[in-house]
Amino acid sequence: MEAAVNNQLVSIEKPEIVAPPDWEPVIIGILCNWCSYAGSDLTGTSRIQYPPNIRIIRVPCSSRVDPWFLIKSLQTTADGVLVSGCHPGDCHYISGNYYARRRFLVTKKLLNFVGFHENRVQFSWVSAAEGPKFAKVVAKVTEDIKKLGPLHLYKKENFEK
Amino acid sequence: MSVELFVTDKAGLTKFYEAIISKNETYAPVEKFGKYDFKRVSSFDACNPDAPIAQTMSAKPLFFPRSAKIMKYTADHSGTSVKETDEDSLAGKRVILGMKHCDARALQVLDKVYNWDYIDTDYQRRRENTVIISARCDKAETHCFCTSLDYDVEHSDAMDVAIVNGTDGKVFIEARTEKGKVFLKEMNIEQRISNNEFQVTDETAPAAVKQQYEAFAASFRLKMDYTEVNARLSKIFDSPEFENVSANCISCNTCAFVCPTCHCFKISDEKVKDTGVRYKSYDSCNNGYFTLMAGGHNPRPVKYRRWRQRALHKFVYYKERFGENLCVGCGKCTNSCPVNISIFEVVKQVSETVSV
Amino acid sequence: MDYTNQIREIASKLFAEGKIDVFVGYRMTGFDENQVPALIRDPNEVSKLVFTDKSVFNLTNYLKQDHTRNKRIGMVVKGCDSRALNLLLTESQVKRENLHIVGIPCKGVVDENGNKMQNCIECIFPNPVVFDEMVDGTPTGSEAPPYQVNTDIQNIAAMDLVERRAYFEEVFESCIRCNACRHSCPMCYCAKCCIDQETSTLYHGANTTSSAFHALMTWSLHLAGRCVDCRNCEKACPSHLPLHLLHKWNEQVIYENFQEHLAGVHEGDRGAFYKYSMKDPDDFIM
Repeated sequence: MEAAVNNQLVSIEKPEIVAPPDWEPVIIGILCNWCSYAGSDLTGTSRIQYPPNIRIIRVPCSSRVDPWFLIKSLQTTADGVLVSGCHPGDCHYISGNYYARRRFLVTKKLLNFVGFHENRVQFSWVSAAEGPKFAKVVAKVTEDIKKLGPLHLYKKENFEK
Repeated sequence: MSVELFVTDKAGLTKFYEAIISKNETYAPVEKFGKYDFKRVSSFDACNPDAPIAQTMSAKPLFFPRSAKIMKYTADHSGTSVKETDEDSLAGKRVILGMKHCDARALQVLDKVYNWDYIDTDYQRRRENTVIISARCDKAETHCFCTSLDYDVEHSDAMDVAIVNGTDGKVFIEARTEKGKVFLKEMNIEQRISNNEFQVTDETAPAAVKQQYEAFAASFRLKMDYTEVNARLSKIFDSPEFENVSANCISCNTCAFVCPTCHCFKISDEKVKDTGVRYKSYDSCNNGYFTLMAGGHNPRPVKYRRWRQRALHKFVYYKERFGENLCVGCGKCTNSCPVNISIFEVVKQVSETVSV
Repeated sequence: MDYTNQIREIASKLFAEGKIDVFVGYRMTGFDENQVPALIRDPNEVSKLVFTDKSVFNLTNYLKQDHTRNKRIGMVVKGCDSRALNLLLTESQVKRENLHIVGIPCKGVVDENGNKMQNCIECIFPNPVVFDEMVDGTPTGSEAPPYQVNTDIQNIAAMDLVERRAYFEEVFESCIRCNACRHSCPMCYCAKCCIDQETSTLYHGANTTSSAFHALMTWSLHLAGRCVDCRNCEKACPSHLPLHLLHKWNEQVIYENFQEHLAGVHEGDRGAFYKYSMKDPDDFIM
């Protein structure tokens, strides 16, 4: 699945775009306050290493994540987005993540339909006690996105990283 | 021998087009999703200069782009600085193929407003550097009414080179302006004549062209005297009829975006972090927020007032100020309207409510 | 399909009984075979009304216009229009007591070339789901045929990623940001649309490919689970963009994954994003 031409890493959606040799993906992590953000905190306090490519944004609940956040991220900095919330049944607001789950699926499928690789947006359930899992999730997402190459679709025109 | 009127046939014309495309930066109607839009072309096969008016977008965006960067800026804690924008990609020497009479004429109408109190230098440069080659319509389409509006279709100098389809597969090529004559010379017209691709016309040619135009003018379904309409409309600002005719308009703004003469725009910023770009993009006076002011006051809060503004601007205000209608009768708005409102019919309906 | 006489009768009856202020139907343009929506306020003009297979536009759009606000309205609806109406009622955009709905047992409408519209061929709710009276008597309750996957969707989904990206890049590039899709959509009734906000850092109004992508994606996600597939947007689009692809794709994803019925079919149903099920797919989440 690795997007490469002549041993050079290229963007999987646009093979004509070649990644610079020192290219590192930028991943936006949108984490729910009650589980995943606390989980990422635990990862840090437990001194577990995870890739530094992720930039974390804290939101009250995974259902606070408007699909537009993903579109906006992908149009500016991000090469990929990770959204993480509480496990089903654990939502601080009882049912927020159930609503979010439906939206995530539709957004992911729609982005894939218009030409984004399906791994550009990823989702996970990470509880406040799952520090090691958070590190694993970030490592996996980073690895996935490194394979896909840089994202160059519908970027805002004046945008410079 | 006429220096500016030549005759050729279909094959000669195609060769002529191909030569133009290979030697110049050329824009021509290119089909996409069943609609033609003027795009940069590199081969004749990719474009269709004879695209029907109903399916063709106006060429206005080549002079007044749908979105133009007017400045770049940086605003952070150390202050605000404004940078130059990128080079204007439409300012170079270029040729437009397949522009219809109405579309070319629209640029002459727009020239008046762009040369008025503020001279838009970008627009002027684009106009100066462009050679317009028209493709002539043989027959009026359903919603065409250009002959009803105030210009001489036959002698219009809106296009630099006019292409006229004659009888028996003849095609006349006529330079209408100095720019057009120079352009034909640049395109080695003499060599084409010696190659027998083009022939020099005899004295019957102007009559043949005239005959074609007469046949064209006779094919119009829609005809109306617009001087009378102008006079009538100027009297009925308060007419309740505007409310009736605009009732089934859904304010979708399609008409303004496809119109070759509409020139309203909005200014919008696109900002990421500290840097931003300011854009000038199309807008429409049919939009509810078009006249919305800071503080919340809207002088045209309801649909019929916005609709009235659009109609009266086209047929009264512009006429009063610049002596011409802000409409060229291309029928693009009617073709694009999702609810099939015809500007010709509704203007007629409104104006008939008063006597001159 | 010609219900002209029935509709004229019903409209004059409604005016005579004083039940309505405006009757929203169709009339001939007067210059060609096409029709324009007619908002009839004068009972003497009822004879202008027509209904044939050229009556394409979804009239529920007029419920958000100046001329119908706080009026008692009689309205002609086809199957898809009635689903839009049902959603508008559920979302409290119109008052049921202000409406007199005249249902049409629709047999499909045609486009400008006289071909039956694609959404009508695939339509599984030709009969109105909400009405006060039907022009042809109450329809007999035949089972709705099973959901049909749109053929265009199948073709696009079968392309590989790079082809699909290239196809949609052309779509977004051809968009001129006139927002006619939004204005013609009966389900878009926000007083100020989020993509028209002035805040430069959030949304932007320039006619660039990136902002077209932004606007159309936001729009289609706001309509996911709410689109009734009337294709007013496609009729309005001056660039003839295949906008139905986005909506039909969302509809299909929702139908297949959440087993949700189509938008606006049931009274009081707000659409797929306003509810959830324990059985929703979870396998795409780590």
